[in-house]
Amino acid sequence: MNICVFVKRVPDTEAKIRIDHETNSISEEGINFILSPYDEVAVEEALRLREANGGTVTVVSVGNEEALTTLKKCLAMGADEAVLVKDETPETYDGLRTAKILARAVEKRFPDYSLLLFGKQSVGADNAQIPAMVADLLNLPQVNVVTKLEIDGNKGIAHREIEGALEKVSFSLPAVVSAQKGLNEPRYETLKGIMAAKKKEIPIVTFEDLGLKEEEVTPLLEITKLESPPQRQAGKIIEDEPEEAAKQMVKFLHEEAKII
Amino acid sequence: MYKKVTQEIIEKLEKVVGQKNLTHDREKMEDYSHDEFSLKDIAKFPELVVKPEKTEEVAEILRLANTEMVPVTPRGGATGLTGGCVPLYGGIVLSLENMNRILEVDLDNQMAVVEAGVTLSEFYQAVEEAGLFFPPHPGEESAMIGGLIATNAGGARAVKYGVIRNYIRGLEVVLPTGSVIHLGGKLMKSSTGYNLLNLIIGSEGTLGVVTQATIQLMPSPRVMRSLIIPYDELEKAIETVPLLIRKRILPLAVEFVPKDVIQITEEFLKKRWPCTQGSTYLLIILDASSEDEIDRLSEEVAETCMEKGALDVYVADSPKKQEEVLDIRSKIYEAIKSHTLEVLDISIPRAEIARHVKKVQEVSQKYKIWLPTFGHAADGNVHTHIMSARFEGGKIVSLPEEEWKTKFEKVREELYKDCRNRRGVISGEHGIGIVKKSYLSYVLDEETIELMKGIKRHFDPQNILNPGKIFD
Repeated sequence: MNICVFVKRVPDTEAKIRIDHETNSISEEGINFILSPYDEVAVEEALRLREANGGTVTVVSVGNEEALTTLKKCLAMGADEAVLVKDETPETYDGLRTAKILARAVEKRFPDYSLLLFGKQSVGADNAQIPAMVADLLNLPQVNVVTKLEIDGNKGIAHREIEGALEKVSFSLPAVVSAQKGLNEPRYETLKGIMAAKKKEIPIVTFEDLGLKEEEVTPLLEITKLESPPQRQAGKIIEDEPEEAAKQMVKFLHEEAKII
Repeated sequence: MYKKVTQEIIEKLEKVVGQKNLTHDREKMEDYSHDEFSLKDIAKFPELVVKPEKTEEVAEILRLANTEMVPVTPRGGATGLTGGCVPLYGGIVLSLENMNRILEVDLDNQMAVVEAGVTLSEFYQAVEEAGLFFPPHPGEESAMIGGLIATNAGGARAVKYGVIRNYIRGLEVVLPTGSVIHLGGKLMKSSTGYNLLNLIIGSEGTLGVVTQATIQLMPSPRVMRSLIIPYDELEKAIETVPLLIRKRILPLAVEFVPKDVIQITEEFLKKRWPCTQGSTYLLIILDASSEDEIDRLSEEVAETCMEKGALDVYVADSPKKQEEVLDIRSKIYEAIKSHTLEVLDISIPRAEIARHVKKVQEVSQKYKIWLPTFGHAADGNVHTHIMSARFEGGKIVSLPEEEWKTKFEKVREELYKDCRNRRGVISGEHGIGIVKKSYLSYVLDEETIELMKGIKRHFDPQNILNPGKIFD
C-alpha cells in the first residue's frame, strides 16, 4: 500500500511569535521551525502502516527550500522518499490554493496512492481546511481528526472522538485521513536515520511541472492586517483571612465577573 | 548556650524588616522547617522567620543575633538534599526570598548582577532574554542563586562547562558580625590577596550570608542535540565514557540512567522516553556552532557507542523533545522520592565510575535493598539512591522500617568506604549539611577539618551562623 503524507514547516509551538507589520506576516527572525506536530503523527501512522502492510511512504510539502529540512526529518523518521513542491510565495493562509496544488501533485505524481494522510491542521494558521478540500478536489472519501486507524485490504475503519461518544467510520480506499494527537506517539529519529536521510536527494517539483497555471495559484485571500491577540489582564489576588477572602471572592464573582 | 528568641528581639526585628516580612506563627513556619531531604526526622522548626528586602536589613539581623546569641539559618529555595537550611538549633530562619531582583545583565562584560533570592528559572529567563547563556544546570529550577552558591551546585552540564564556582565573579556577603564585604567583581582575573570569594562559595552559609552575586555568562551555543543511547548492560554504557574522552569529544552532559527508574518516572510524569530497548541508557547532550558540526560530533559519538555495544542511537533535536527527555531525567528524584532515604552524591575520578557502580550493585544484592544509581557519567558524580524498598518484577516493594533502618547505615558505610578507596569525596554538588557530616572524616584529613573549623571560628566567633552544618 502506497501512502502519501502531506507536511508543513511551522514555527516551534514554544516560539514567541512576533508580527512583522510591514509585510503583514510573522517575523521569522530567531524562530525555530519544526514539522507541524499533527503532521508528525500522520508520518508516524504512515510508517506503522507500511511496517505492517508493506508499500512505500512518500512525504510531500509545499513551500520554499527551507521546507527541505522538514522533509529531511520525515526521511530520518523512516519515510521512503520526499518531494518538495516549490512555492516561493510567502504564507498566503489560502487553504484552497494549497489544496489545489496538492491535489494536482497527487494526480500528476502519485496516481496509484491508496492513502493520503494529513495532520488534522497545521499549527500556526490552524485552519484545518486542506485535508477536506483535497478530498473534495480529488473526489475521495475522507475521515478527519482520527484517533485510531485500521486498514484491511481496500477498506479502512477510522475512530473519531465526538461529543460524548466515539464514532467509527468505515471507508474504502483510496481515501483522505487526517490525524489527531493520540493516534500514536511519534518515534524519535535514530542517528542512522538522520545520516541516511542526509544522503537522500529530495526532488523539487515546480508549478510548471505540475501544469499549474499562474491564475490557478494566485492567492484569493488577502491579509489586510495581522495583530497579536490583546494581552490577558493579570488575575486578581485576594489576600486576607480565609473567611474574609471567601466573602470578597463571592462578591467579585457576583458583581464584577458576573459569573454567579 | 544559645538564647531563645524573645519578644524584645521580635519587636526589634519587626522594626528592621517590617511586620509583613516576619512571622512566628507555627503553621506558617512549617515550610521553613525542612528542605527536600526525604526523612522528616531532621526537620526542625525555627522560632522566627524573617524575610529581609535589603542587604542593610540582613546586616542588622545578623548584628542583633550575634549580640543576643541567637542562631541564624540562611535559606534560599530550600531545594537542598542535606538539611543545609534546617534551623538545627531553632532561632531565626533568614529567608532571602524577598531579595529577588535581577539588578543588571551587562552585555559588554557578559555578566549578570543578581540578588541571592532570584530563582534559577527567573535567572535563566533573564539571561535568555538578553541573548546569553548560563551553562550550569543543577536541576531543580526553584533553587535560588544564594543556595546554588552556598552548595557550589553542579549539575549535568559540568562536564563541559564546570560548576557554579566557575561562574561566580563577585559576591556581596554579610558576615555573622553584621559587616558587609565585597569580594571580586566584574573581573576575569584577580591575584589580589587570598581568594575569599572561593572560600565563601560552597561554605553552605556557615561563613556569611550571600546577598548579591556577579555571575559570568556566555554566548549561547547555536545548536544543541540530545542523544539517547540504549545498552543491554550498564557496564558497557559507563565504559563508553572514557573512550569518548580519549577521542577528545567533550559533550555538554553525559548522564547514565537505568531503565527501571526511567519507567517509574515515565509513569509518574505521563511522559514517554524515546525508546524501550535495553536495560540502561546514556543520555549525551552535545552543543556546537553549526548543524554540520553537530552532525559530525553525533556521528563520532554514535560510532564510539556502537563499538561498545550500544543497541541504537536516538536523537532529540527540537527544543521540545530535548526538554522532554531532560525533564524525565531531572524528575527521577521526584518520582522515587517517597521511597528514598538518602541521595548519595559521591564524586570520584571519572575513570572509577564503572568499578564504583559495580560495588553499588554488589552492596544492593548483599543487603537486598534497591539502590538505583544514576548520574553524571563523565564528571564522576554518582547519585546512588538508598531506598526503603526492594525492586522486584518492575514493582517497588516497601521494606519494614526496622529492616531499612539497620541496612541504611551499613549501606552508607560500605559505599563511603568504597568512595574513600577510590580517592573520592562524599559530596560532589549537594554539600554536607546535616546528613553527611558524620562521614566527613572518611574523606578529609583530620588537619584539614581542623583548619576548616578554625576558619569558621574566625568568621563567626560566637558560632551563630548556620551552626551544626558541615561539622559540629
